[in-house]
Amino acid sequence: MNLLFGLSPFLAVGVGALLLMLAEAFGKPNVAPGVETTDAGAGRAGELALGAAVILVIGAVLSVAVWVAGPESLPELTQVAPHLVIDKFTLFFSFTLCVGGALAALLAGGYLPEHGIDRSEFFPLLLLSTVGAMALSAAGDLLTLFVALETMSLGVYSLIGLRRGSPRAAEAALKYFLLGSFAAAIMLFGLALLYGATGHTDLAGIGAAVRSIGSPGSTVSAGKILISLVLVLVGLAFKVSAVPFHQWTPDAYEGAPTPAATYMAVAVKSAAFAVLLRVLLVGFGDERLASWGAGWPPALAVLAVLSMTVANLVAGRQESVKRMLAYSSIAHAGYALVGVVAAMRSPEAVSAVAFYLLAYTVSTAGAFGALILCGSRGAEAVSYEDLAGVGKRHPAAALAFSLFLFSLAGLPPTAGFFGKLYVFRTAIDSGLYTLAILGLVNSVIGAYYYLRVMVYLYMREPAPGAPRAVTMRSGFVATALVAAAIFVLLLGMAPGFTLDMASGAALTAR
Amino acid sequence: MSAFGHVLEHYVLVATLIFGIGCVGFLVRRNVLVQLMSIELMLNAVNLALVAYDREQGAGSTGQTFAFFVIAVAAAEVAVGLAIILAFYRLRGTVDGDVADTLRH
Repeated sequence: MNLLFGLSPFLAVGVGALLLMLAEAFGKPNVAPGVETTDAGAGRAGELALGAAVILVIGAVLSVAVWVAGPESLPELTQVAPHLVIDKFTLFFSFTLCVGGALAALLAGGYLPEHGIDRSEFFPLLLLSTVGAMALSAAGDLLTLFVALETMSLGVYSLIGLRRGSPRAAEAALKYFLLGSFAAAIMLFGLALLYGATGHTDLAGIGAAVRSIGSPGSTVSAGKILISLVLVLVGLAFKVSAVPFHQWTPDAYEGAPTPAATYMAVAVKSAAFAVLLRVLLVGFGDERLASWGAGWPPALAVLAVLSMTVANLVAGRQESVKRMLAYSSIAHAGYALVGVVAAMRSPEAVSAVAFYLLAYTVSTAGAFGALILCGSRGAEAVSYEDLAGVGKRHPAAALAFSLFLFSLAGLPPTAGFFGKLYVFRTAIDSGLYTLAILGLVNSVIGAYYYLRVMVYLYMREPAPGAPRAVTMRSGFVATALVAAAIFVLLLGMAPGFTLDMASGAALTAR
Repeated sequence: MSAFGHVLEHYVLVATLIFGIGCVGFLVRRNVLVQLMSIELMLNAVNLALVAYDREQGAGSTGQTFAFFVIAVAAAEVAVGLAIILAFYRLRGTVDGDVADTLRH
């Protein structure tokens, strides 16, 4: 019983996904009388979105419930270890993933019918992909790691290509699929080498074997460990979309339906950071690999600086708001990587990254949601020009957009401010002054392009005769925005409670 | 190390070579079908390495189990990948990756 309870967040979302798939297949299509359709899901995006959101909220609530009960007090959970490690770290991330997934599902409930994408399989795919993401955050074994990563990615590939008649969607899906599978194959080779070098597939065993290098009687080859570390880092850097492994990101986000882009920006990135932290700290936590002089911290520091700087510089030059948000998500991966580097010295950095990703999830989902709200069928808001004058035409949408942009820019009193504050503070506490200063400078540069959106929202009028984006009405999108705004303000004004929870989620490096 | 030890390096060498061929094929060729095949080559190189390492470890069959999972995942990946390539081909009439350039700012 306790085992079932401990696994309940995963089971709820997984079983829910299957039930939703059945509901989609066996329901009655909801189309106008006289219209012939063979698709049982036709016209039912609304009810399926509601179902998906409810299932994901149940998953989030169960994550909290298991947290409160305490995974340490459930000894049965060792039966599934090391394949699934249910600890507070896992539960914090599965909460974040469920929240991100639920927001994406709600956005899709408004977006898909509005833009005539009558494909209800979006929702089961979203849920199955979320199960993969949750399992990824719990993976304590290379086997689970790989299977979970692919479960998550395969769902996302299909979500991107959902708009089948659109060449841009097909192209986005193609690019992401090819590069994603390539990166996964590279990482898999690293995992195989790691198994060959250490004889273990569980991360704890690998960590112990890595620590034994150099001691008498150890046959573990340091060279193989280093090569596999590089290969695994490349694969995961691709998934978190860190520069220079980021080229797919703007294309995939632009071609994908906006709710799918939201899901990629929030859930895929958070899950990839979770597994990155666990692999590096548990598997490669040895001092000789996790110090400022050698191993993964200097490599990740370079990726962090590149991601922040390049993404911020390029984001300012974008004409499309969706592409700007894509580059912004790359920059945020850079900020979070600063926290991952700091995690080599302080466990608090792990909590800071976990908190940062929760703040980032709600802010990004909100920003994409506000962008969805600013457009309607045939007139999707894409460019800055489309947003001109929305502040007058639809004050609520503009207000919500501004709040989430404030949070992304890291201004108080929003979630993003505390997220950045804690990440940079742990970096300074760990003696990484240069990284922290570069991060701060980049936050200032980043504020430029977030504020530029607000200039268009409030200070520009659409050019006479130009096609203007008409804002849509949707209870689903409005609900998602309100929920995200509550999170952003709650985390921004009273971060203490969540931060206490996050600090319980710390993994210990050594 | 078992008696298999001195042969192991040969298997790993072959696996690395096949993996390298797949890698180069993915990067050099512009036909997306060939790129998909190159990825499959890389995955199968990993399978060879996994099975060889499994033999070396002796006890248990973790590596073989891992290889089975990789095979299953690769099959799922091909199913999704071919569907995406088919959708692309229907819209663009070609499987040349260089045609995929409408997404530029």
